[in-house]
Amino acid sequence: MSLESYEYIKDIAKKAARADGRKPIERRRITVVDNVINHSDGSAYIQFGDTKVIAGVKVLPGTPFPDRPDEGGLIVSFEASELASQYETDRILYSVEIGRVTDRGIRESNVLDLKKLSIESGVKALFVYIDIFTINNDGNLFDAANIAALNAMINARYSVEGKEEKQKLPLNYEKLSVSSTFSKIGGTIFFDPDVQEENAADARLTIGVSDKINSIQKGGTGFFTPEEIDMCAGEAFRLKEEIRDLLIKKVNG
Amino acid sequence: MYNERLDKRAFDELRKIEAEVGVVPNANGSARFKIGNTEAIAAVYGPQEVKPKHFEKSDRGVIMCKYDMIPFSVSDRIKPGFDRRDMEISEVITNALSRAIFLEEFPKSMITINVYITQADAGTRCASLTAASMACADAGLPMRDLIASVAAGKIGDSIVLDLTKEEEDLHEEGATDVPIGFLPSKNEVVLLQLDGKVSREDLKKIIAIGKVGADKIYQIEKEALKRRFSNESKS
Repeated sequence: MSLESYEYIKDIAKKAARADGRKPIERRRITVVDNVINHSDGSAYIQFGDTKVIAGVKVLPGTPFPDRPDEGGLIVSFEASELASQYETDRILYSVEIGRVTDRGIRESNVLDLKKLSIESGVKALFVYIDIFTINNDGNLFDAANIAALNAMINARYSVEGKEEKQKLPLNYEKLSVSSTFSKIGGTIFFDPDVQEENAADARLTIGVSDKINSIQKGGTGFFTPEEIDMCAGEAFRLKEEIRDLLIKKVNG
Repeated sequence: MYNERLDKRAFDELRKIEAEVGVVPNANGSARFKIGNTEAIAAVYGPQEVKPKHFEKSDRGVIMCKYDMIPFSVSDRIKPGFDRRDMEISEVITNALSRAIFLEEFPKSMITINVYITQADAGTRCASLTAASMACADAGLPMRDLIASVAAGKIGDSIVLDLTKEEEDLHEEGATDVPIGFLPSKNEVVLLQLDGKVSREDLKKIIAIGKVGADKIYQIEKEALKRRFSNESKS
């Protein structure tokens, strides 16, 4: 990003304005394309602005973890490779953090019933692998990864030995945990930052909510006051509704 | 329901704390922070030349922070080395410290902070951050404030401060753990993570109880630093 645009974004942020004309708490338009990958059990391609990610789900048998013999597994990985950004150091640290935060939101909301994935206690269970890849980074990869993962899980149809029909994942749609990411630039809080805003931001807050708050991750070198955190939590509950509606429509449709 | 804590503490009571600075004489600054059975040792080197060079920033210093749980710190042995969890924790600690330290006073240089978790009983990232901030103060780095960090959370219907591992594992009670880092005198939250299930109202209460704990830790940190520079500790 050029130095002029960096200064420009910081400058207009003081007036709560954004380069693309959005309001501070306004989402970019989301495009979802289902099942773009033939070889996965379920997949989704998400785009907003120029941020593009693909999530693919594979459901494979494996050995349960020793401390959870009656449960299947959930394994989420996220990658933002050389393909999506030229900055190496940002990429590595960022990827790990996004993968782990996405994993936590899904896991803690119990949207996926891991107990139903058990086949034989301690011996065999199904593992749900969600791999999320970035095609282009135009900011807010946290929410992109989360929305892609939820869509891909809903789309998943996998086959199990001995059963004719393809199976759906055991999902509890009341517990869809939707992530909302906020950036603080010079004291003003913006929702769904693009990449330029992320670069200009002092701090970031990602909040995943279902009926409760399931995950929070503060990022960046700046700070939030307790009052600002409460405001973002309130917005996260409001903002999750539109994503939830999209997902529920898909389940029923 | 969770009416009484497993270790009989009050809901807003911290575990027993030990804090001292100067435990790694080779370092420019160092600290040991122990809370209950969680212990972190932090050492600070620098400001020094930035390596690798491409991390260098012309207008400010950079922090290189490494959090590491040593293999015997938990009941099963953990593989030595830097895993994904260590990476993430190092990142959130670095972010918090970047706010606390006046990095603009060290352009083109690097501050290296290494933290070992020698014993883990929950709250390791908070203990690391508190230890690291004491070590930075011990090294004489100019800072906005010390960081005081503690986990708070919710077990059953109770809001609790400074959870133990045993409490974190009360899954039937829906235990939720929220590590929080404060710059106490500034009312700034520089570290915040959550996984679990809490309402917006709960989150407010959790942050408030965290602040109560952080204020106490803040006093203990200051006392430890004062002891280092007072006459009594010359021995």
